[in-house]
Amino acid sequence: MSGNSAFELVSERGWRRGLSNLLNKEFAGWWKTRMWWIQCLIWVGLIGFIVGTALFGSPNSRPRLGDMVELYAIIACILPAAGVIIIMQDTLVGDKRDGTAAWIMSKPAARQAFILSKLVAYSLGVLATMVVLPGIVFYAMISIGVEATPDPWPFIASLGIIFLGFLPYLTLTLMLGSFFKSRAPVIGIPMAILFLQQYMIGLLPVLGYALPWSLFVTTANPNISAIVPALLMGQPIYSYLPLVIMAVETILFSLIAVWRFNREEF
Amino acid sequence: MDTIFQPQIKISQILEAPPTSVIETRGLTKAYKGVHALKPLDLAVHQNSIFGFLGANGAGKTTTIKLLLGLIRPSGGTATVFGMDSVSQSIEIRSRVGYLPQEPHFYEHMTARQTLQYVARFFFKGPKKAIEERVDEMLELVDLADKANRPIKTFSGGERQRLGIAQAQVNYPDLLILDEPAASLDPIGRRDVLEVMSRLRKYSTVFYSTHILDDVQRVSDTVVILNNGELVAQGPIEELLAGSEGVVYIVHLKGDVEPTRLQVLSLPWVSGIITGHHNGKTIWQVSVTDPQTAEEQLYRLLANGPAVVTEFHRKQYELEDIFMQVIEGGQNVRK
Repeated sequence: MSGNSAFELVSERGWRRGLSNLLNKEFAGWWKTRMWWIQCLIWVGLIGFIVGTALFGSPNSRPRLGDMVELYAIIACILPAAGVIIIMQDTLVGDKRDGTAAWIMSKPAARQAFILSKLVAYSLGVLATMVVLPGIVFYAMISIGVEATPDPWPFIASLGIIFLGFLPYLTLTLMLGSFFKSRAPVIGIPMAILFLQQYMIGLLPVLGYALPWSLFVTTANPNISAIVPALLMGQPIYSYLPLVIMAVETILFSLIAVWRFNREEF
Repeated sequence: MDTIFQPQIKISQILEAPPTSVIETRGLTKAYKGVHALKPLDLAVHQNSIFGFLGANGAGKTTTIKLLLGLIRPSGGTATVFGMDSVSQSIEIRSRVGYLPQEPHFYEHMTARQTLQYVARFFFKGPKKAIEERVDEMLELVDLADKANRPIKTFSGGERQRLGIAQAQVNYPDLLILDEPAASLDPIGRRDVLEVMSRLRKYSTVFYSTHILDDVQRVSDTVVILNNGELVAQGPIEELLAGSEGVVYIVHLKGDVEPTRLQVLSLPWVSGIITGHHNGKTIWQVSVTDPQTAEEQLYRLLANGPAVVTEFHRKQYELEDIFMQVIEGGQNVRK
């Protein structure tokens, strides 16, 4: 590469090669486009509307904190999780189908860095727009509409757990995207899990440890409490095992995505 | 005691050293579900050459290129680029290569400038000013400066192709791999691409695939022809154009040719004469085994005979002739 003496060459090596450039591109896709404010609008609007209706819909009776927490947990469990799946289904499949993944892989960029950049950028985007911002809105609303509000620290911890509950969907969708070129299985399988998980736990209670539903809603498994409502209400948490399993699932799905993408032929 | 440095290599040895291979493949194969897309391929591409990779659609050209870049894995054999293994060191290889895919795909929402900046940042961290200057230079090179800030989704096929050529060169690569670079360009665009390739020879090795034979004949110095995943001809372009049937002279004669014919046929370095007739003239195709002697003696001998020589030249093949000969004849030509 004669004629490049004026440049500072990229120094990243191995699996990190190209990571900063790929991350910049993925972050720009979230924060330098309409993406971020559309997501903010959807989730703040949705949670604000549902919680606001429950809080201020009947002026004669003031809702209890427990009712609001359960409502919030259910909304936060299902709706943004579906949003995560919808957003993620195209991130890898789209690049594969459009030929842009092949184009990028013809540059000095590691395949691990390609997957990691999507994982990091989308995780932070989801955290900010689907967890933190709607969570703050919820907290502000119940501070106004309910007599007792949860302590801030358990509330912040609950936001972390909600985020952890989304990560298996996020990484599962990414992983499926590394296997398939068609969008149908990539969106269909996680959606099926999302909407059928309460029945699956009913049939096989041990699944309560492995499915995010148990973080948000009390299940048929008597050994697992719904962690998010318990944390917000200051109640004891019987088992932290689901949190560990969610983290393991997230790591496992991510590793499989990297492994499979490494074998992809363009 | 003073030691006197004695060079281990003589100047003549350096001058006679074989050219450095940038690309080398040995028995490189690729099969998809048992079907051979590429049969064992042995290639050597020398530094600063313009290497034309010819073949009909589906001949295995793109497969070979993807194997060299590590985009697909070989079923057998090895490929090295700059002496590095195409499987285990593909990132290092790609850091010295510029690649134009057959159908370039970019992010549609990005502008041409953003695309080139994005590609440049896979190679360079900074400084920002130098990157901007390089991007501007590339936009000028492919005549897209006035469209630099337009999103790619508004680009025509030719404009995309030109952007593809620009992004392939943004790092001043040591090796430029172009897959059908002129396929979707108009004649002026084609001419420009060939000019760029010729100019780059000074700095880079150019390895490009095409089925436009005229382009290959104009700029390439070495040619490989693939057919159904198999190498059927390879060599310097001049040698391929000389033909696989040896050196042939075309002679047009008037008058009594028979005494001359017998005399020519008796020469030890003449292997045969094919005779034809056109407009009252006799046309010979004289095949010779010793081109040097033929060049020195054949014309003199013909001119001294009873027939009048109206035309005399060495037969020049068009690449198309060679291509059709090896593709249709299934003939292997290796120089």
